[in-house]
Amino acid sequence: MGKFLLLAFRNIFRNRRRTLMTLVMVGGGVTGLLMVGGFFAFMFWGLRESTINGGFGHMQIFTADHFNRDEVRVLDTGIDNWRQVAATVKTGEHVRGVAPRIDFYGMVSNGDKSSVFMGSAVEPSAENSLGFTTRFASGRDLDGKPGGEVEALIGAGLAKSMNVKVGDGLTLLAMTSDGALNGVDVQIVGIVNSGVAEMDARSLRITLSAAQRLLQSDRVTNLVVGLDKTENTDQAAEELAPRLHGLPQSLVLKKWIDLATYYKQVRSLFSMIFIFLGVIVFFMVLMSSINTLLMTMFERTREIGTMLAMGTPRGWIVALFMLEATLIGVLGALGGVVAGNLLGFLLNHSGIHLPPPPGNTVPMSFKVLYEPALMIGSSLLVILSLAFASILPAIRASRLQIAEALAHV
Amino acid sequence: MNELAAMPELVRVEAVTRQFPMDHSFVRALDEVSLRVSPGEFLAIAGPSGSGKSTLLNLIGCIDKPTSGKIIIDGVDTSRLNPSRMTALRREKIGFVFQTFNLIPVFTAAENVEFPLLVQGVSAAERRTRVAVALESVGLAARANHRPDLLSGGERQRIAVARAIVHHPALVLADEPTANLDTHNATQLIDLMHDLNRRLGLTFIFSTHDARLLEHTDRIVRLCDGQIQSDASTTPTRLEGASHGQVLAARL
Repeated sequence: MGKFLLLAFRNIFRNRRRTLMTLVMVGGGVTGLLMVGGFFAFMFWGLRESTINGGFGHMQIFTADHFNRDEVRVLDTGIDNWRQVAATVKTGEHVRGVAPRIDFYGMVSNGDKSSVFMGSAVEPSAENSLGFTTRFASGRDLDGKPGGEVEALIGAGLAKSMNVKVGDGLTLLAMTSDGALNGVDVQIVGIVNSGVAEMDARSLRITLSAAQRLLQSDRVTNLVVGLDKTENTDQAAEELAPRLHGLPQSLVLKKWIDLATYYKQVRSLFSMIFIFLGVIVFFMVLMSSINTLLMTMFERTREIGTMLAMGTPRGWIVALFMLEATLIGVLGALGGVVAGNLLGFLLNHSGIHLPPPPGNTVPMSFKVLYEPALMIGSSLLVILSLAFASILPAIRASRLQIAEALAHV
Repeated sequence: MNELAAMPELVRVEAVTRQFPMDHSFVRALDEVSLRVSPGEFLAIAGPSGSGKSTLLNLIGCIDKPTSGKIIIDGVDTSRLNPSRMTALRREKIGFVFQTFNLIPVFTAAENVEFPLLVQGVSAAERRTRVAVALESVGLAARANHRPDLLSGGERQRIAVARAIVHHPALVLADEPTANLDTHNATQLIDLMHDLNRRLGLTFIFSTHDARLLEHTDRIVRLCDGQIQSDASTTPTRLEGASHGQVLAARL
C-alpha cells in the first residue's frame, strides 16, 4: 500500500505545470469558498449579535397564552408576577440579567398632527446592565428615575414625520388593559436611528413604570434574559426551563433563534446562495479535472498496458487514478485553506467597508471569519469533486485492451 | 513425433487463428498456427514485419485472445479462463520484456523490479531479497536507486529483464527486446538472457528480426503471413563443434 501511495504521489508531479494549474484551480475554488463563506459567517455573526444586543436578548419569557391566543386587550396575556419570575431566572447559570418589557401601540400627537406608534416600555437600568445598545441620532437615553416628566425616545422617521426634535413634547393615547382610553404627556429626550427604516418610522419607547400607568396594568409582555455568551444559550435554556414550571402562570421560554425571524430568513437566503456557489465550484473543478485526468490517462496508456500485462488487477488501476486525483484534491485544498486564511487576514486588516444593506443606514465592515467547519467542508467538496472527476478516466484506463495499450504511441 | 509427444510441455498453441477487423473486412494476422514449447527452451520467433510475431507473443502472453484455436500454458487452457483468472495467470507464470522497455518512469530501478512482487502480494522483506537477487543477476545492483531516465538503453532493458524474472515465472516473453539497442548492448542483453535461460532453466520466447539474437537461440520458428514457415530446433548436445546459429542457419 505504501509503494502504491508513493506511485500515486510521484505520478501527480510527472507533469508539474499541469498539476500546478489543477492545484491553482482547486485551491482557488477553496479560497473563493472560504472568502464568501467567511464573509457570510461574519455577516451572520454580526446580525446575530446585533439582534441580541439590539434588545432581543438571548432568551425571552412569555406566558403560554401569548402564543396560544390573540390579545383582546393590551397585556391580556402578560406576565403577572414578573418580579418573582425575574428573581428566579436571575440566579441561573450564565444569566447576566433580566429586563422586563411591554409591547403596546397607540396614537401619538403633537397637537397638529397624529400618527400611529409601536411602543415598547423598558427599565433603562436593566437594559443598560444587559448591554443593550441604542443608536441615537440625537439626545440621550431614558433616565428611569421615578418622578418628573415622562420621557420618551422616538424613531428618527417618526420624529421627522411628526416634525419634532429633542426637548419637544408629545401626547400618547392608548387603550388601557380595561379597554378604556388613556393618555400621557411625554417629553422627547432622544431620537433613535436603529438602522432599519421601517422600525424608525413607528417606534417609540418609554419607561416601564410610565407604560404601566398609561395602560393601567402591573403586567409585562415578556422578560428578556441576557447571558454572558451567545454560545451558552442552549445550556442556559435547558437549565432555566424547569425553573419556570412551578410558577402560578404557565410560562414559556424561547431562545433568541426561535424568535429572530429576520435573522433566520437572512441566514437561509445566504446559505442557499453559498450552497449554489459550492455547486458551481464543484462542477467547475469536476469538468476541468475530467479533461486533465483524461489527458493524463492517454499519455500513460502504454504504462497502464504494461502494468496490466504484468497482472495488475484492473481495480488497482482504478484505485491508482482515483488516489492520484484525491491527492491533488488534498494538496489543492490545503493550498486553498492557507491562501484563504492569508487573504482573510489581509482583508480583515484592510478596513474595507461595504455600502449599507437594503433597509439599513449604516455601512457594513467587510470581514471574514475563520470557520474550521467551512475549511473542512470546502476541502471535502473539492476533494470529492476530484475523486468524482477521476472515475471516468480511471474506468477507461482499467478497461484498456492490453495489446492495444502496449502498441499505443 | 512420439519423441515430441513424450517431452514435457510448457506452451501448446493449437490451430490458433487471430483476425483483426479492418474497415469492412478482416485481416488474418495468424492462420491456424500450432506450436509446442518445452520448459527451458530459448526460442525465437522470427519473420518479417507483419508476419504475426507480436500477435503470437500477445496470445501466448494472455494479453490477447485468439479468434479460434486453443492456447495451453503450463497445463491450463487459457480459453476457459475468465479475465481475473487470466490476470492471475499472467501475474504468476509469465514475465514480459518489451521493445521500448516500458519501465515506470517515476519508480527507481529497484522499485520497477519490485512491482510484479507487489502485485503478487509478496511481503516487504521477501521483496527486498528477491529484488536484490534479480538486480544482481542482471549486473545492475549498483544502479538500484536510479530512475529509468538516468539509465542507458541497455541498462533499462536489463532492468526490464530483472522485472520479468523476479517473480520466478515459468515463461519469459520478449517482444523485439534488442530492437532499440546498439550492437554492444544488444549482445550483452542476448548473453544475459541466454545465461539466465541456462543457469535458471527459464523458458524464453522472443520475437526478433535481429540476426545477432538468432545466432544464440536453440530453436527458431519462422513466421510468414501468419503461418509457420519453418520450425528448426537443436539441443546443445547435438551442437558440439558448431554454434547454434550455424546449425540453425543450416537447418533453415
